[in-house]
Amino acid sequence: MTERALRQRAATPSPPLALDARRASRATLIILLAPALLLYAAFMVYPVLRTFWNSVHTIKPNNVPAFVGLDNFRALLGHDWVFWKAVGNTAIFAIFATIADVLGGLLLALALFSRVPFARFLRVVWFTPVLMSYVVVGIIWVWIYDYDWGLANVILRAVGLGGFEQSWLGDPRTALWSVMVTHIWKWLGFNMIIFLAALYALPVDVLGAAELDNCGWFAKLIHIIIPMLKPTILNLTVLSFVGKMMIFDLVWIMTGGGPLWSTETVSTYVYKRAFDWNTFDLGYPSAIAVLWFLIILVFIFALTQIMRQRERLEF
Amino acid sequence: MKPPSAVEPSAAKGIAYLRGAPLMAFALIYTIVSGGPFLWVAMMSLRTTPEIFASPYALPSSIHWEKFVDAWTKSNYGTYFWNSTIVVVTAVALLTVIGAMVAHCLARYRFRGNRLVRFVILSGMILPPQLMILSLFQILLEYHLYNTLTGLIIVYVAGHLAITVYILEGFFAQIPQDLFDAARLDGYSDLEIFWRITLPIGVPALFTTVTLNFIILWNEFLYAVVLLTEDDKRTLPLGIMHFMGNHQLDVGMVATGLMIAIGPVILLYAFFSETMIRGMTAGAVR
Repeated sequence: MTERALRQRAATPSPPLALDARRASRATLIILLAPALLLYAAFMVYPVLRTFWNSVHTIKPNNVPAFVGLDNFRALLGHDWVFWKAVGNTAIFAIFATIADVLGGLLLALALFSRVPFARFLRVVWFTPVLMSYVVVGIIWVWIYDYDWGLANVILRAVGLGGFEQSWLGDPRTALWSVMVTHIWKWLGFNMIIFLAALYALPVDVLGAAELDNCGWFAKLIHIIIPMLKPTILNLTVLSFVGKMMIFDLVWIMTGGGPLWSTETVSTYVYKRAFDWNTFDLGYPSAIAVLWFLIILVFIFALTQIMRQRERLEF
Repeated sequence: MKPPSAVEPSAAKGIAYLRGAPLMAFALIYTIVSGGPFLWVAMMSLRTTPEIFASPYALPSSIHWEKFVDAWTKSNYGTYFWNSTIVVVTAVALLTVIGAMVAHCLARYRFRGNRLVRFVILSGMILPPQLMILSLFQILLEYHLYNTLTGLIIVYVAGHLAITVYILEGFFAQIPQDLFDAARLDGYSDLEIFWRITLPIGVPALFTTVTLNFIILWNEFLYAVVLLTEDDKRTLPLGIMHFMGNHQLDVGMVATGLMIAIGPVILLYAFFSETMIRGMTAGAVR
């Protein structure tokens, strides 16, 4: 549509406007958009701005908030070793669980793709943990890790490796990794489905040509399938990594951040500082949330930039 | 190039079988790993705690259906279940209607501020809940919505609007424009077009978002744990956590509670597995 036509429409509103299905009356737009925008303004935009405001104040119950400038951030970065412990744990979690999620999901998808019998049924069963809540998954795995009757130790004893039995969630050396295993178990099916869709979208003739060339399945995987899945792999890596930087539920349910801060993550620390510690200050945890959000934003931008760069180089 | 059938047919079959056996073994093991824990809980939910401690991995010797009645009436699971149902059904209904309205506008109409509205709404997808949870706690206290199901519903709708609009807009934008031009010529009003063309054609996409939102909200924990503290307001995930905290050792009863939470999801999954898989992964693939 040319600009002149647009101007003409604006000049003579009623008949052309009524016939142009790309335009709606102001009343229609208000009716359709107002509920969402009001809700957003009050319960998304305002809370975010208020958290930023909170982060430069000290806010105690029944008290006037006191402006403290960047003190919260200084304390946080300077001498809050629990925060740094939490950052370290979250980083370990995000890095290792992401790698395991992506590789494991690919492995499961390849198993289904290579025409294992009952593939449709297996796909449904393998996806089940994705649908379950963290509370359900967490409690089941707390039992599995139980020292006396949990499945992990029962199996170790049964195969004669009783020496390796552990109080999996009670020992600071194993707790973080045990929670991680549970998290990976819950999300593998999700990555599997995405990879499976990508595998079925691969051009059949390329895979067929590899077959004719008598290419072994491993060579086929390394030289053909994985390069062609690169966009999916990068996409899932970003999604998975960013999700794990915010991890709260499973850690809170299984260990509450303990023992000895060995599973404390940034999010559980925010919650604890706000509601469990008797500092009763909402300003300091808000500062943690703001700082962490900015770091997550940087990661999202950096990772998407890298993805774009890669795509440009390859195609 | 070597001919593919350089080996004898019987030997080729044997190799194929060997290649298949580890795959089969892997498939079997992972099926037990992913599905086994749920079967285990299902069995424990029908056994009493003394039976479980005597032998944690045995099949039920006599089936104790009455545990479900006990959980429902004596342990408040009935209340938790209804709270969850009220919150999730209301929030999903509101999300679907409000989300479809926004998605229709963004996908169909050119108007000033279209890009701004899209940016504001979709940016909700990268905001971590942790960034809003502390101030939402303050805000709901001030609005007297703290510790109410209404407050939780509003927060859920605001929080999940972004992904809902994202999925619906992608689908709505693919509906051919000709349909809308024709409807306009036939004298349909804007709202009639939304109601009688976009919504009926968009049913598959609406189904997808309903599934996704239902599962995520039925399982939601973080907002609920911060915004609800009274026992008769708790949703199922909170109720189970609370019960677990008070009855650490009553494993049998906790398992029954878990089954009450898993039950509806498993039941739906048995009938609509494809829809649910598509729904849960909808935001990630385009």
